[in-house]
This record gives sequence, C-alpha cells and structure tokens, in this order.
Amino acid sequence: MAQTRNAVIVGGGTSKFGVRQAHLLDMIQEAMRACADDLPGLKPADIDGLIVATTMAGRHSSALNTAPLVVQRLGLSPTSICIRVDTLCAGSNSAIIVAKGLIESGIADVILVTGGEKVYMPQRWETNYTQLAVNDHDWDSAMGLGVPPPFFAMIAKMHMKRYGTTKEQMAHVSVTNYGHGEGHVNGHFAGRTLTMEQALEARIIADPFGLYDCCPLSDGASAVVIASEERAKAMSDRPLVYLRGTGQHATHSMSAGWPGDTLAEWPHLKTAGEVAFKNAKLTPKDIDIAETHDCFTISEIIELEELGFCKKGEGGAFVASGEIGLNGTIPTNTDGGLLVYGHPFGASGARQAIEICKQLQGRAIHQVKDAAFGLTHNLSGTCAQHTVVIYGKEPVK
Amino acid sequence: MAELQKAEIVGTPALDGQYIGEMDIWPFEAPEFNRIYPFYDNLRAGKFTTTKCKKCGHITFPPQVICPKCWSDELEWVELPQRAKVVTLTETQAGAPLGFEPPLILAWLTFGDKGPLKHLLGRIIHCKEGELKEGDEVKFVTFSVPAHPFEVKKDTKISDRVFYAFELVK
Repeated sequence: MAQTRNAVIVGGGTSKFGVRQAHLLDMIQEAMRACADDLPGLKPADIDGLIVATTMAGRHSSALNTAPLVVQRLGLSPTSICIRVDTLCAGSNSAIIVAKGLIESGIADVILVTGGEKVYMPQRWETNYTQLAVNDHDWDSAMGLGVPPPFFAMIAKMHMKRYGTTKEQMAHVSVTNYGHGEGHVNGHFAGRTLTMEQALEARIIADPFGLYDCCPLSDGASAVVIASEERAKAMSDRPLVYLRGTGQHATHSMSAGWPGDTLAEWPHLKTAGEVAFKNAKLTPKDIDIAETHDCFTISEIIELEELGFCKKGEGGAFVASGEIGLNGTIPTNTDGGLLVYGHPFGASGARQAIEICKQLQGRAIHQVKDAAFGLTHNLSGTCAQHTVVIYGKEPVK
Repeated sequence: MAELQKAEIVGTPALDGQYIGEMDIWPFEAPEFNRIYPFYDNLRAGKFTTTKCKKCGHITFPPQVICPKCWSDELEWVELPQRAKVVTLTETQAGAPLGFEPPLILAWLTFGDKGPLKHLLGRIIHCKEGELKEGDEVKFVTFSVPAHPFEVKKDTKISDRVFYAFELVK
C-alpha cells in the first residue's frame, strides 16, 4: 500500500512500575492519567483507535479479551481499531508498528497504545510457574526453562568465552543505566544508586549474573498516543517525532531452532535492525540515542553489536569505554532501561517510545544534546523474536 | 455487630482436589489431544524420534504435522541421535519452577555439524551440582511424569505420561 501520510508519536506516560498493590486495569488507568498530564488538550473523544499489549492479562488478571475492558475503564469509544496484541516483552512496540501502518494508510487517525502487566500474584511461586507458559511449553519448558536468567546466563558465558567479555564490562551497563534512571520517579528502582563495587559484589542469581545484571519483573503499565501528522499538530505545539521505520523478525520458538552459530550470535536481531534501518532510510551512524532491551547486562552488549553500533564481539569494551553514557557515541537507555525502570512486559516498548519522544522533543530528564534520530528495541521471551522501531524529527523522504 | 465467621476453606472450593489442565507443566500426551503422540509412544520404547518430510527430506524438531520447509503433510518418523556434547550449562538452586527439584541443571547441547539436530536445550538429571562440565558427553534418558485425568463422554480416563532428559555419560 502506498504511504499517504506520516505517523507521529505525540506523547505518553507510565504508571509507577514495581511490585504494585493494584489490578492490571488500575495501572492502565494510571498510565492514561500520566499520558493525559503529558498531553493536556487530549480528550477521550479524540482517540479513535485502541491497541492493548499484554501477555499475562489472561492468566493473571482473568482478562482474556482485554481491549473492551480498557475501553470501559478509560472512557473510550474506538471506531477504527480495538484489539489486544501479545508479543510478550515487545507487546507495545509491536502495537506501535501496527498503529503506524493503520495511521499511514488512513484507517485510523489517533491511536492509544497501552501495555501493561500484573505479574505478582497472591503467591509468589505462581509468577515463576506462569513463566513456563511463555516459552515453547511442551518442549523447552518441560525441561524446566521458565524464568529467563538461566538461559541468558548461558548466553553470557558463551559471549565471555568467544569474545573475552568480562563481568566488569557487564557491570558498566548496570552502573550506567542506574545513573540514567535517576529522577525517573515511576521507575521500579527509583531513588536507588549503584556503584561498580556494589554491582560486582552482589549476590549471584545465575552464574555469571549478579543481582544487578538482571532486570526485575515488574507490575506496571504505559500509554502513548500515535497520530497522523495533521492531528498531532492540532493536539500539541511540541516538535513532531515521526515513526520512520520498523522491523520485526522471528525465526524460531524453541532451542532447537536457534538461528545463531552459538548463543552469543543473534542473527535474527541483526536482520530486524537491517530491515528497520532500510525502511527508515538511515544507518546506525545516524542514530543519536537508543533504548535497547537490557533484560540482562549481556543483552545490551550483544544488542549494541548486532544493531551495528559497534563491531561484533567488541560490545564489552564499547560499554566500558563510556560510549553508552550521555556524552558517548550512542547514549543508551537514558531513562534507566529495563534494569532500573523495570519490566512489565507489554508496557516496556511504549515506555521506551516515551523516552525517545521526549529526547527528540528536547524535554528528557537526562537530555542528549540535539538528538534527532532514536531507536527502540525489544526482544521477546528467551530471545525468540526481535522488534525495532526508528524515530526521527523529520519524516522519511 | 455479629462476628464474621472465619472461612472454613482456604483456596478455591470448586477446584478442591481437581486437576487443572491449564496449570500442567507437562504436555497432553494422549492421542485425544495431539497428532504427534507417536513421539511419546516412542519415548516409552526408549526412542528419541521426530518427523522427516517424505517430499523434501527435511528433518525438524520438535515433530510436526506439516513440513515447515515445503508444507507437505507426508511425514515419517525417524530416530534422532541419543548422545550430545555440553557446550555450556547453567545450574539453578533457588527459583526453579515448582515441579522441578533443585539443582535444576540446564545445558546447551550440540549434536555435531552433521546431525539432523544442531543444538538443543536439555535438562540434565541424575547429576550433582558442580559435577557437569563443558565438553562432557550426555545421553538421552526417559522417565515417567504424573498422569492426568480426561473425560470421555461420562467416563474419566487416565493418561499415563513419560518425558525425556539427558544424563552424564560416566
């Protein structure tokens, strides 16, 4: 379909992330409230489309057909689209891709993308137990693969063996992201700081990971507004932030289908990135700021490699040299990322989009000077799928 | 004000003692619930098998109903190698999902460059923490897992189940 107009991200907000005393639908309302604070002129009637991203809603909140429940709670009356999407950790980033297509094609004008999870149950064991259902259940999960740390620990061991990556280099990711998380009051670990010593001396979760190498599981929700350029101009005076290009690539659902030579190579992410860069008519050098899926410190290191921000195998040295800091070549996870802001699966992609939106509009808490192009990335589950979205202050021409 | 009576039942009264399929950690292996049940029958006979496409020769794991390469539905059962080498491993003491006793040892296994199966995540059983090393050889092993009930008209049948893992070759 020929593109007839541009889609832009107008603004958004998140609920408080953490171990919450709240229902999933409560937190989605909090995210809507934060989104309304960010866009004072926005009214329920302005929104003609709704996409809700959640994985756990069916199992943990007994809310299988989630979108109509959100319609009720947010006072919406969508006429163009009203759906739930689920790509686990990439849920709302997937929803943003769908929203872009619907707006560019003229099917929708203003879409609310909201994502959220209620992860923590009355009994904690149930949270780990549910994780068995997010992998290829009858195969890998029947081997006991549930929560992600064991799988990513093997990835880290392999990257250390093949490329010489060290625990100290991995700690640079968490320490940097804790610095970036400062001031983000809705983050899971808001108000906490982290030193290299603390990172390296933390209790072991799964060798080689210490506590700070792993992101938390979080309850929480986020919401963003994606609109046509014309409607966005009417809604806000801020600079426009265009959705330039997207890519999403999946190759397998279980270990037997792993596409890399070893666990340290993620060719499916490389492909997802290449597709997004091509669609955005940009290269990695053009990107000023990135929000990558730092579910573990090693993840951010491999993502910087596979997305082309540094050479394959050099991610460890790259993060240790300060290149992911605010004055580095690619400031990364400038809101603290998953490691500090937290990770309510379906909420994370939209949370990343909010940070890129604010950075490109020049109003971020840790502002990167003259940021013009930004990238968001999520992986899903045990690295089964990769999702990339590229934003810019100018549309693709 | 009358004192509230304390609940006599803690939990879900309607589900007291009932099997909940959606909470099961093992596959529904009975022929009534899947079309690849020969895989489980073969496990009972000590065989590690999967499906091979009769049209294009592609072997896939897990077994399928159609070939993912050419979409043919003419598939046959073939045996997979039962020995593999440990590439890397991880041992979980705390936080293993309910139903899996610690230490939960998971290994990334390679079946060699020429095998129909390149790599696979495998649980290593009958193994102490710290015993398994990179490069070790492991072999396929089967064991029984809890049965589950299922309804057939007015009767309740029981599906006995089996699964597989790997153990260290000593």
